[in-house]
Formats: sequence, C-alpha cells, structure tokens
Amino acid sequence: MAYLKLSNISKVYGSGKDQTLAVQDFNLDVQQGEFISFLGPSGCGKTTTLRMVGGFEIPTTGSITLDSNDITNKAPNQRNVGMVFQSYALFPNMTVAGNIGFGLQVRKEKRDAIKQRVEEMLELIQLKQYGDRYPYQLSGGQQQRVALARALAIRPQVLLLDEPLSALDAKIRVDLRQEIRRIQQRLGITTIYVTHDQEEALSISDRIVVMSHGLMEQTGTPFDIYNYPTTDFVAKFVGQINLIRIDVVDMTKGLVKVGSQTITVGDKEKQLRSMKHLAIRPEEITAGHKEGNNNLHGKVYNVNYLGAIIRLGVDVDGVRVSIDVFNQRNMKIPKEGDVFEFNFPVEACWLL
Amino acid sequence: MNLSLRLRKFPLWSSVWFVIGILYFFMPLYATLDFSLRMERDKISLKAYQVAFSDGRFLDTFLTSNILAVATIIASVILIVPTAYWIRLRVPEARRIVEFITLMPFVIPAIILVFGLIRVYSTPFKIPFTDIVFLEALTTFEIGTDVLMVAGYMVLALPYMYRSVDTGMRTVDVRTLTEAAQSLGASWVTIMWRVILPNLRSALLSGALLTFAIVVGEVVLASFLGVDAFGPYLFLLGQHRAYEPAALSFIAFLLTWGAMGIIQLVTGEQGQAAGAH
Repeated sequence: MAYLKLSNISKVYGSGKDQTLAVQDFNLDVQQGEFISFLGPSGCGKTTTLRMVGGFEIPTTGSITLDSNDITNKAPNQRNVGMVFQSYALFPNMTVAGNIGFGLQVRKEKRDAIKQRVEEMLELIQLKQYGDRYPYQLSGGQQQRVALARALAIRPQVLLLDEPLSALDAKIRVDLRQEIRRIQQRLGITTIYVTHDQEEALSISDRIVVMSHGLMEQTGTPFDIYNYPTTDFVAKFVGQINLIRIDVVDMTKGLVKVGSQTITVGDKEKQLRSMKHLAIRPEEITAGHKEGNNNLHGKVYNVNYLGAIIRLGVDVDGVRVSIDVFNQRNMKIPKEGDVFEFNFPVEACWLL
Repeated sequence: MNLSLRLRKFPLWSSVWFVIGILYFFMPLYATLDFSLRMERDKISLKAYQVAFSDGRFLDTFLTSNILAVATIIASVILIVPTAYWIRLRVPEARRIVEFITLMPFVIPAIILVFGLIRVYSTPFKIPFTDIVFLEALTTFEIGTDVLMVAGYMVLALPYMYRSVDTGMRTVDVRTLTEAAQSLGASWVTIMWRVILPNLRSALLSGALLTFAIVVGEVVLASFLGVDAFGPYLFLLGQHRAYEPAALSFIAFLLTWGAMGIIQLVTGEQGQAAGAH
C-alpha cells in the first residue's frame, strides 16, 4: 500500500457559469521516502494539488490517505505535514532558532529537546552560527534553508515544497536544489516538490508528474519523461524538441518525406496511420553525413550561441529543425545562409 | 565635495519650499509658546502652565479621557484585528465593503452619531412583546455611559485603526505566515498571539496613538453624553481663559511629537524585519 495516496482528486472553484476546474481526476501513489515533483506551466493545478495534501484546500471529490489514515478533511495543523513556501514565510519577529523551534514549541516539547533539535537542524542546513539572527539579516538562499529546517524540525510525515527556489538567482538555485536532494535522501523523507522548471524536476526527482490544465499528463522517472513522452504536451514541455511535419511515402517500409527529402522512421506502420509528426531532440542530431542514419540537409537561418552548445535553426525545404552542436574552441561556427548537412539515428526519432 | 555637487544635492526650489514649510508649521507653534509664556505682564514665565496644572479638573478630566482612550484602543484592537485578519484570509472580496464602512465616520458627523446613541440607548431594553426590562437605559448609569462613549469613540477611530492594521497585514503577508504556522501545528489562538500580533506591532502602535489623540481631544460625544472629559474641559477653558489653553495646546503638541517619535522608533526596528519578507 502506498504511503501517500491521492485517489480521484478534483478541485472546483466557484459555482455555476464561473466554475473553474483546477484539478481533475488526479490519482497518485507515493511510496515512503520517494521524491516526487509536480511539473507544469502556471495554472496547471500543481500548487492546488500540493495545497490539498497540505490541507490548505479541501478536494471537491476524492480522498487523500497518509500512512493508511484518511486526511482528506483534516485541518493543516492536524496533518503533520511540513511545508516550504516560495516566499520563505519566515516569522519576521523570531530569530532563526525561534523559527526552527516554533513547531516544536507548539507541540509543547521540552525546552532541552527543542534546543537540541534546533541545533541538529542548523547543522543539517549548515547555518550553525546563524541561530541568533533575524530573517532580515539573511540572504534569500539562507532564508529558504531556514524555512526548510523549520519544516523538517517537526519530523513531518511528508515534506511539501511549493516552488521553493523560484525567488532565488540561478547559481543559488542549482546549489540549493542539490542541498534539498541531499537532505531528503539523508532523512529519507517523503517529499512532493512543485516546480515549473523542468531542469529542476529532472535533476532531483525519483518520479515526475507532468500536469497540464488540471490533468495529469504523464507520471514517470525523469529518464522516462524525457525520453519517452507519451503526449504532445509532455514532449514539448519537457526539454527542447523538434516536431517535424512528415508525409508518408511507404507505410510498410516506414519511409517518410521531410520537405522533399526521404528518410525512414523504422517499423512504425501502425503509428504512421494516425501520427503526422516526427519528434526528435536537438541533441540527437549530429552534423555531417553518416551512412545508416537518416541524413538531411538545409539552409541555416538562425545561429544561437549558448556557451556550451550552439543551437542552429536549419530550414529543410520549408521545414524548420533545431539542432544542438557542442561548442569547441577550434570549430567553425556555421553562418546564416550556409548549407548544413546533418544526420540522426533511426531509433532516436519517434512519432507524435 | 565641490559647490556644483552640493547645489545639486540641495536644489534651490526644494530648499525654498522646505523653508516655507518649516515656517508654516513652526511659526504658529512658536506664537502659541510665546503667548503661553506671557501670562504675567512684561515678563516671561511659566505661570500659565502652573495655573493650568493646578486646576483639579484638569487632572480629573485628563485621567478620565486617558482611561476612555485606553479602553477604546483595547476594544478596537479586539474588534478590528480579527476582522481585518479574517477578511484578508478568507473573504478578500469583502474588503472594499468594509473599507467603505470604515470611511463612514468621515462622512457622518459625530453629532449624528451621538444623537443616534442617545436615541437608542436612553430607553430601557425590554424583552420583545413583554414589559419585562432586560437592561436599564445605558445613559442612566455611569458605566453604561462609559460603554457608550467607548463604542462611539471606536466608531470615530475606526478609519485610522482599520487602515493601520490592514496596511500592517499587507506588509507582512499574513496569509502565507498563517499557512506556515498552521503547517507547523499552530492553532488559531497561537497564530494570532505569536505570529500575527507581534508582526503588527508598529501598525497597532500607530493606530493606537491616533485613536488616543482622537479620544483625548474629542468634544461632541463627551459633551452630549455629559461626561467630564478632557475635550470639553479644554473647550470651556478656551472660552473663559486666554493663556492656559495656549499652554495646554503646547503641551499637546509635545505629547504628539513624543508619540510620533515612539512610532518612528518602533517602526524603524520593525521596518527592517518586515523588509526581510
């Protein structure tokens, strides 16, 4: 039995004509110690779902069980669920130690036990010297670490993080997400993490739930989500992708046309009947000609220098393809208008 | 620093307006102070202050007004903080309506309020359809009148208190702080007592001081309800004496400045804390 179970969850706001379906038919089993990310664009229902687990929203239908206990209608302060907010939400009137110890004081734990736990937490977040400071004396990253420690201090059964890194700058985000993962693995705490940043979700999660318009689009490991997207939305939302319009030449042989050039998609006769787009990641494409691979050529119409990679836009007989080329110091960067030849393995492409 | 830089720092017109502003505010104050010191002919003395303070009614009325002010502040905090908090948290759509209601004392004069209070509360409360008296008329006994005074003052102070509290709540994002405290297991009482109120300290203080100023100087309500408060006393004094009211006005100025200084001190400290959010 799953440790945290969300069954047939839906959430409707408003009534009558003004009704908004924020989440619909959401089912998820989370195992103990698992790190799950809810990934999706703004308004997809990910935060609403998280807030339902936290008790800040009550589902319109469905149930939530935690360790076999039904918590669907329980108040947030009766759930033993820790929450970290995007805006840190540290209590400005309390010191760092006061913030971390707040939940334990509320639980009427002994003074010595609170002190010890606060010290443990400060050590965990590597802010041992900062116990006496006030939130306004800390940087954004430090404040969010304190918020994490505060949520963990009460030994919650589930830790919820609502876009905790969104307010931080790029470098701190990368450092802190690794820190969050390290702490989560060390404590083995069941965690749900909400983000709209695909890189963040891919790098720290055991499983990702991709959401769109209140619906669960796909659930899987980061590897599955990235390499085997099951819907158009997931393919487009997670990572960069080329969706190339194709015309079928020979269904049984898997021959298709991109512009006026013919390539093969392999043995995909069934899919060719209904799907009209070839999907391929830019990084699967290599410059030059290679026997046994699909080879195409076109005119460069855009060169985007991104540091480690150079993203080229190539026009193949009116079909636009995005290609990532690794940057090398001695390489000759193609220019707009150049003819560019490229290839990709048959197995790297799929149909959508 | 060279001259042009200095001039840029203090542009001519700004300085001119600043000086005009200072004169506008300080000249009357200086005039009041000067007048209050001239009770004795051809001599600068504190006689007016001495006379004002030695009048037994001064202390009595001042004390009464202070007690009423403190009671008004406490009752206003008890009424307004949970109301503003609940509106921010659960019924934000009601905010405009409540804001409109809080502005009513600016539109409806105090004289109408006091006549309304007298009209309603000067007759005994009877259990409907019977002659059984549930409560005597509030205006017939002292505590009852005081209750009416505090209720009336609460209405007069409502715009200031509500706005202070509401602004304070906006600066600390009470909604997220409440949710954070709830997720840590806190009850409503704990949240209010340990999270919300401490973070509204400066807002409450400014609201309280404004309320205090209104209550201490208020004349209409106290006069019509027949309470010997400081406002009517000052009014009467102004009609019959010349120097003492000037002395008391100057003292009132000093008290207000002192109060504003306290607000500045407390707000300065908390401003930093709020800035962290």
